[in-house]
Amino acid sequence: MKKRENILKKEKIVDSLKLPKDICLGAMKVTFTGNSEAWIENYRGLLEYSECMILLQGKTCQVCLEGNRMTIDYYTNEDMKISGCISCVRFI
Amino acid sequence: MIAFVKYFRGYVRIRVMGFSPERFMNLCCNKGIVLWNIERKDDAYEMNIHLKAFLTLRPIVRKTGTRVAVLQRYGFPFFLPKMLKRKVFLVGLLLAIVFWLYSSVYIWDIRVEGNYRITDDVFGDFLVNNHVVIGMKKSELDIESLEKAIRKQFPEITWASARLDGTKLRVEIKENDAPILNEEEYHEPGSNLVSEYKGKIVSMIVRSGIPKAGVGDAVEEGEILVQGEIPIYNDDTTVRGYYYVDSDADIVLEHIISFSEKLPFDYVEKEYTGRQKKKNYIRFGKKEWNMSENRPYLVYDSVIKESRPLLFEKLSIPIYFGGCRYREYRNVEHEYTPEQAEAVLNEKLYIFLESLEEKGVQILEKDVKINSDTDCWVIYGEFLVHEKIGKSIAVEKTVIEETEQE
Repeated sequence: MKKRENILKKEKIVDSLKLPKDICLGAMKVTFTGNSEAWIENYRGLLEYSECMILLQGKTCQVCLEGNRMTIDYYTNEDMKISGCISCVRFI
Repeated sequence: MIAFVKYFRGYVRIRVMGFSPERFMNLCCNKGIVLWNIERKDDAYEMNIHLKAFLTLRPIVRKTGTRVAVLQRYGFPFFLPKMLKRKVFLVGLLLAIVFWLYSSVYIWDIRVEGNYRITDDVFGDFLVNNHVVIGMKKSELDIESLEKAIRKQFPEITWASARLDGTKLRVEIKENDAPILNEEEYHEPGSNLVSEYKGKIVSMIVRSGIPKAGVGDAVEEGEILVQGEIPIYNDDTTVRGYYYVDSDADIVLEHIISFSEKLPFDYVEKEYTGRQKKKNYIRFGKKEWNMSENRPYLVYDSVIKESRPLLFEKLSIPIYFGGCRYREYRNVEHEYTPEQAEAVLNEKLYIFLESLEEKGVQILEKDVKINSDTDCWVIYGEFLVHEKIGKSIAVEKTVIEETEQE
């Protein structure tokens, strides 16, 4: 409960100072080009990867991308690119 | 560019199998190893990894308990050892590079652009005379002096630029569209107009000078019609001096022009026998191969067709392929029929009349006859014409001796 309050406080400060959230809060940044490509930044690691599902660990939450024939075009410490037919994004 | 860097550094496609390949990928990621084209194939993952990074994978593999198998090797570091084994290929490559470097020292093509009145042949001869030829060394070419020589040789060229484009010499010129005006040399005034033919003057308008003949006068060839020497008189009507002018007048003379032309009774015509021979050849610069020197027939003419393949044209290599066709013929003598002879002679007469018309000669009467002589046909014609005449000839100046008055 206390952790959640801390996060809310941080968010308020970042909001009021108009600072970028992905840097200050460590939030994941997901960019889509249609439903065929996605660029993801600020992740911690890859939890699961199959053709139908990619599960990524972020600082505060997990992101799950679902679709068909999904491949990772490149995977580096900074960002990754996923291509394929993406049908769903879930934040867990 | 990225693909080239990847190829140059070398990379391998690996298959990662085991309990947790995701952990393997995360560890690679944390160590700054880039993975790309990651695909899931059954229970394993396939991905590309740089060669250098691949050699540092052992601790990660051990830690994650996965197994890594190399599927394919790509890039220059794998290509080079393979190539080094192929000695002949390497020698060939080296020779090709040497030849390429050696041949780039010479000029292999000359292009002239912008010439309309000066033909390519004329310009080609000029370049040969200035020792600019295909196959010369680039270092021997002095572009500035060539440009100067072009402007000096052809005054109608207002702008000339030569530049080397690889092994190609491009000469760009611009010709003067306006006519060239030669500065007239100053000459002392004083000229007479004389008659060029014998005849009768029918019209005369004098602008400067003293007329020496009038309308209706019969004049001889070389007779002065208008004098450019104008005497200045003293009060006592003695000549004090002369004022010289260039005579100018429009004089029309009625005179007779005669025309005669001969045509032999027989003429020679080429009659092809139908026998032909064809020979192909290759030309490199000025050297030719396979061009037979023997005479294929006793009497023949030859048609040469030459072409340069587009590849050689683009690469500026002076290699030409050509075919020479020899056609045998016989010289057959024919005799003109009177109708044919008349037609040929009338054609000649027509050309003569055309030339008169171009000169502005007005024909009043025509008298033309065609006769057969001992060995030829003869056309003879006399034309009474009105023609504009007047030939300018410099005046011989008269010197007046001054007498001292006592």
